[in-house]
Order: sequence, then structure tokens, then C-alpha cells
Amino acid sequence: MRLPALLLSLTLAAPAFGGVSEALEQDILPGFAGFAEAARTLAETAEADCTAPSVRPAYNAAFDAWLAVGDLRLGPSETAALSIAFWPDDRGFTQRTVTKMVAQQDPVVDDPARFAEASIAAKGLFALEMLLYDPAFSGYDAHSYSCRYVQAASIELARQAQALNADWEEFAKVLETAGAPDNATYMSDDEAIRALYTQLLSGLEFTADSRLGRPLGTFDKPRPKLAEARRSGRSLRNVLLSTEAAEQLAHALVDHDLPQVDAASDNIKKAAQSIDKKDLSGVSDPQSRLRVEILQQQVQSMRRAVETEIGTALGISAGFNSQDGD
Amino acid sequence: MMKSLMATTYLALCLSPSLAQAEAAASPAAVLDTYADIAEAKYADSLATARALQAAVDALIASPSPETLEAAKTAWLAARVPYQQTEVYRFGNAIVDDWEGKVNAWPLDEGLIDYVDASYGGPSDANELAALNVIANPQITIAGQQVDATEITPELIGETLNEADGIETNVARGYHAIEFLLWGQDLNGTGPGAGARPYTDYVTGEGCTGGNCDRRSAYLKAATDLLVADLEEMAANWAEGGDARQSVTADEGAGLVAILTGMGSLSYGEQAGERMRLGLMLNDPEEEHDCFSDNTHNSHYYDGLGIRNVYLGRYERIDGSVIEGASLSDLVAAKDPALDAEMRGKLDTTMDALGAIKAAAEDGFAYDMMLAAGNAEGEALIMGGVNGLIDQTRSIERVVRTLELDQIAFEGSDSLDNPNAVFQ
Repeated sequence: MRLPALLLSLTLAAPAFGGVSEALEQDILPGFAGFAEAARTLAETAEADCTAPSVRPAYNAAFDAWLAVGDLRLGPSETAALSIAFWPDDRGFTQRTVTKMVAQQDPVVDDPARFAEASIAAKGLFALEMLLYDPAFSGYDAHSYSCRYVQAASIELARQAQALNADWEEFAKVLETAGAPDNATYMSDDEAIRALYTQLLSGLEFTADSRLGRPLGTFDKPRPKLAEARRSGRSLRNVLLSTEAAEQLAHALVDHDLPQVDAASDNIKKAAQSIDKKDLSGVSDPQSRLRVEILQQQVQSMRRAVETEIGTALGISAGFNSQDGD
Repeated sequence: MMKSLMATTYLALCLSPSLAQAEAAASPAAVLDTYADIAEAKYADSLATARALQAAVDALIASPSPETLEAAKTAWLAARVPYQQTEVYRFGNAIVDDWEGKVNAWPLDEGLIDYVDASYGGPSDANELAALNVIANPQITIAGQQVDATEITPELIGETLNEADGIETNVARGYHAIEFLLWGQDLNGTGPGAGARPYTDYVTGEGCTGGNCDRRSAYLKAATDLLVADLEEMAANWAEGGDARQSVTADEGAGLVAILTGMGSLSYGEQAGERMRLGLMLNDPEEEHDCFSDNTHNSHYYDGLGIRNVYLGRYERIDGSVIEGASLSDLVAAKDPALDAEMRGKLDTTMDALGAIKAAAEDGFAYDMMLAAGNAEGEALIMGGVNGLIDQTRSIERVVRTLELDQIAFEGSDSLDNPNAVFQ
């Protein structure tokens, strides 16, 4: 049963299922290692001086590193990604939770084991952003509760990043042994590449629909306050870094050229250059709104390019993704 | 659809039983007929139980007492049983998705509707109307517009209040608005106890608590009438000649994709993700689907059951009778018996896990208590359900490929990897 299929794949579609290891070794695993390293630096920085101006550069470096792998929502990331980067948060859980923590001086920040159990709205990159950038919090001094909170959240982030990195080392084996008799998760070799392909598409969909679509809202009702990481002015940067990550994963996943994907990537960069408000607040102005809409269209083009150059080329289609709910 | 069921039976009498079964199993058209028949029965059951709720609400308003309030609550709980089993018809059927927000929107900023505890807070950045309290305020302002809310009518609720200002959490209608009006806020956090609205909130004149009891009664009445009207609409859509039935049976491939899209999207993104894991990770007792009544364990259980009975082509109605026919399971078994066994096994595993949550909740360990930070037992129960749902999604994907439907989804309009795109 197996042999003819294998021969066929060798002769007709040699690269079809070969990309999983490459994607893991060249892109995904180094990405998680990089995030773990950046989060460790953040924790060390916060331990040395937890005031906002001191912590911000290391915070941004950690966020940058996260975006290399942040849109992957499978395996260990299925759950962990939510507590590292809890967004979208349309109902303002993070703001409410951080406000309450600081107002009550909740002692949970002095107990790492209990802090690890705290709500995802109390920790991770977005709680840290609230503390480091929101004027309601960011002016704290070195001996304040908020300073200890920033330290605790940074240390917890580093712990999570390290655990996630280790978990991915293990999960990589599950992906790489797809089709092996004892692999209950991926029962044939093409299920692993399909799983990564699904992540690639859902990441781009997330950038178009959420990172850009949420602040765009409608023409009559733009919602600039729903932009991701607007307090730190990272909204546009997050779009760029996440699409770059998608492009890299796409290239790692197949060994043929991807001219349409590359062209879409260039167009995304060009479209982004014309946007001057890095927090995407221009969505409220008809002129600058158009530029954000164009950027969104370019991200959608990249998604279609991935479908054509990877999906159609390999004869695979995407599975369900975690954003399929309403 | 009785006609086609009878036709199948007739065929079975003429042919040898095994051959007839194989014929039935091999027919996507018959599978789609069963799917539509089950939808018809589920929405009819939802409508019947909503009418019973309507009668109970009328009785409560006519003569408020602990007993009439309790009877209305019991009727609401009973109405949820068939409705939750219909949720598997979302995501795959545009007609259901366009309508669903009217009946089961969640979560809601309940301060839009009625009085809330001080701990609820006021208007928020995300929603200026979060504490509008239309029951207490006959004159209201929505997005700069003066609105006369002197009369609380189904039209006011449906056309002006629901999703006011374009905000999704301004849920003014549907099961959860009614749930809030019957139970009130659950102020017990992650401790035991549900909402405890007193029946006197509906006593007009002397003895009225919470203020504006007449307006509260009018709201409850209007919201319940709206729910019944909405369910009438959807029940008709699935009856013989209805739009939803015609749409899903028009094209066999697309129809099967619709079934599987509903199963997969409800399992994974919606139930495992949005409704179960997110609430657990937020440790927020408001993040449970039926947060006022503490009925979330049943909500999740019957959602899961709905997914399974669509696959098996067998639905037990509220009166105990059974609708069954050619199923997706038959179709898969004809092509790959091992995959059918795997799919059924996964669905059973999920039901065991959701059943464990239900049993624990019925035993006093309420769903909101399971959400408490550091509650390892609650986390294990909820994650058991989440993992089962995620695991069954992988088998649903295998079914899609085994039935060679992935290329339809792929070439069609990316309905599988982006079901929302179909409805935009």
C-alpha cells in the first residue's frame, strides 16, 4: 500500500512532505529559542532596574522575538500563546485586571508560584505593556508596587518562554514522526505539513482580520483603540514582523521559489512605509485610513499567494484553525 | 422529509437488507436529508420549549411569586437543552449564522438592560452603553441620538438596543438577556451560588424591588416574545421547502462540507477555544457561557452532544422520540471503517469529558468554581473537555479528506479554513 504512494511522491512531488523538518530546524525552533533568550534578558533587565524607561527596550526586543513564532497556535502554543500574548481583548480584561492589581497592591506579585497561576489578563506581554506605557501606570518609581509587578511579570514571562521552548523541542518530534505507528496526533506524513500550512494561513488571516481589521472597524465606526499594542506604538510593527515571520515559514516549508509570496511581502513593506501613525490611529481619518486598508489588502494578497504557491502546488488545503469561532 | 424516509424504508423492504444499507450509506443525498431532518426537529423542539418559557414568563408577570419565578427558570433551562444541540448548524450554514446573534449572543454587558451591582463598574472604553440601564431610563441616548424608550417593545429591543452603537456586547435579546432577567447577576465570584434575583423584581406597585418592575416585566415579556418569533423563523427555514434545507441539500459536496465545517468550527475555535479555555485562563467567573444561571455545564454538554448526533445521524427529541437516518458515519464507514471508528471514539471521549463536567457541577462543583485560579481539579475537568474537542477536530479533518471534500472547500470559497469568509 505504502510503496507506490511513496514512489509517486518521490517522482512527481518530491518536495511535498519534506518541509516539516526544515521548517522546524531552520525557523520554528530557533524562533522559540530566540524568544526564550529575549525574555530572559527582559527579566534580567527588570531585576536590575524595573522602572519603565529602563525596561522598555528589552520589552520591545522580547515582543519582536515573540512575533517570529507568536502566530503559531498548535502543540504547546495552543494554550501557552494565550498567556504570553492575550489579545484581542475587546472587553478590556487586561486594563481592568492590571488596574485592580495595582489598586489593591495584590501580594500575588511577591509569590512566583501563585503569580504563575494568575489570570492571563494579569500577565504576559500586554499586562507589561499596560504597566510600561499607559500613563495611568508607567510613572511608577523604583520602590513601588508597580515596579515589583513589572519584575514579577518579566520573570514569569521568561519562565513561560523557557518552558515553551522546551515543550516545542518535544513537540517537534511529534511533527517529524508524523505517520509513525505510535504517533496518535499526526497519522500520516502529510498531516504534519498540513498542520504547519494551516498555521501559516491562519496567522496571515489573523493579521488581516484582527491586527488590521479590528482598528479599521467600519468607515463610519473606526476603532483605533482596538489596535494591537497601540499603547507602545507597536501596532504597525507587529503587522510587519508577523508577516515577515509568515514569509520565512513559507520558505522553510517548501524548497521551491515563492515569487508571489515575495512580491506580496515587498508590497506589504511599501504599504506600511506610507503609514505614519505607528499605532494605526490614522484609521479615523479618511485619507490615512485608505493606507491601512491597502496594507490589509496586501496581507490578504500574501495569504492568497501562499494558497497558490504552497497549497495548490502541494495539493493540500488548510484544516480548521483556532480562530474559527465567532 | 417523511417522504424520503419512507422511500428509504420501502427500498429496504425490496432489496436485501445489507445491500439496502450499503445503498443508503453510500448516498450523500440521504445523509443531507437526515441532517436537515434533525435540524428541523431540533429547531422545532427549541421553539416548543421557548413557547413553554413564554407561558411561564406570562404566569410570572401575571402573578409574581417564588413559585412562578422558579417555574420560569425551569422552563428556560429546559429550552436550552434542544437549542444548544442546534449550535452545530452554525458556521456551515450561512442562514443560521446570519441569524444566530439574535438568539444566543454572548457575552453581554448586562448593565445595558437593568440594574447591576456597584462592582460591575460604569461605562467602559470599549462600551459607553455598558451601564445604560434601559429599564430604569425611559429616555436614553445612544451614539448621540435621543431614543424614546417609554414603551419597551420587541421592536425597541431588536432594532435599537441590540448591538447598540455597533458594540457586540450590547446584547439586548436572546436566551442570555432573558437569563439575566430571570436570575440576575451572579455575585458569588468563583464561590458557590448563581444569580439570585428576587421574584419581587416583578411585583408591580407596592413591594416592587429593584425599581421599575413594570418596565422590567415589559422587557422580559418583549424579549421572550422575540425569542419565540426568532425560533419560528429558523424552524420554518428547515421545514420542507425551507431556505436552509434547500440550500444545504442543493449541492451534495457543499452540503457535506457544511456539516463538517459546523462540527469542526464549533468543536475547536468556538467551544474548546473561546468558551472553555479562554475563560479558564482568565479565571473569570463571568467568562462562563450561562453565567447568571450557572448552567454552563449543560450548555457545553449539549453543544458536544449536538456535534455527535449530527455525525451519527440520530437525534433524540425532547418527547423521547428519535429522528434517525443515513449518516455521515455510514458514509465514512463505507470508505474507511477505521476512520469511522476513530471518529466515533473521539466523539465519545469528548462526551465522557463533558459528562464529567456536568456530573461535577450537578454535584455542587459549579462551572464558575472550576474557573478559579489555582483550582487544579476544575482545570483538569475543563481541559479534559478542551483536549477532547481539539482531538476530535483532527479526526473531522481526516473525514473531510477521506470523503475528498478538501478540494471542494479549497476551490470553493475557503469555507473550511475560513468559514466566516463565506458569510461576509
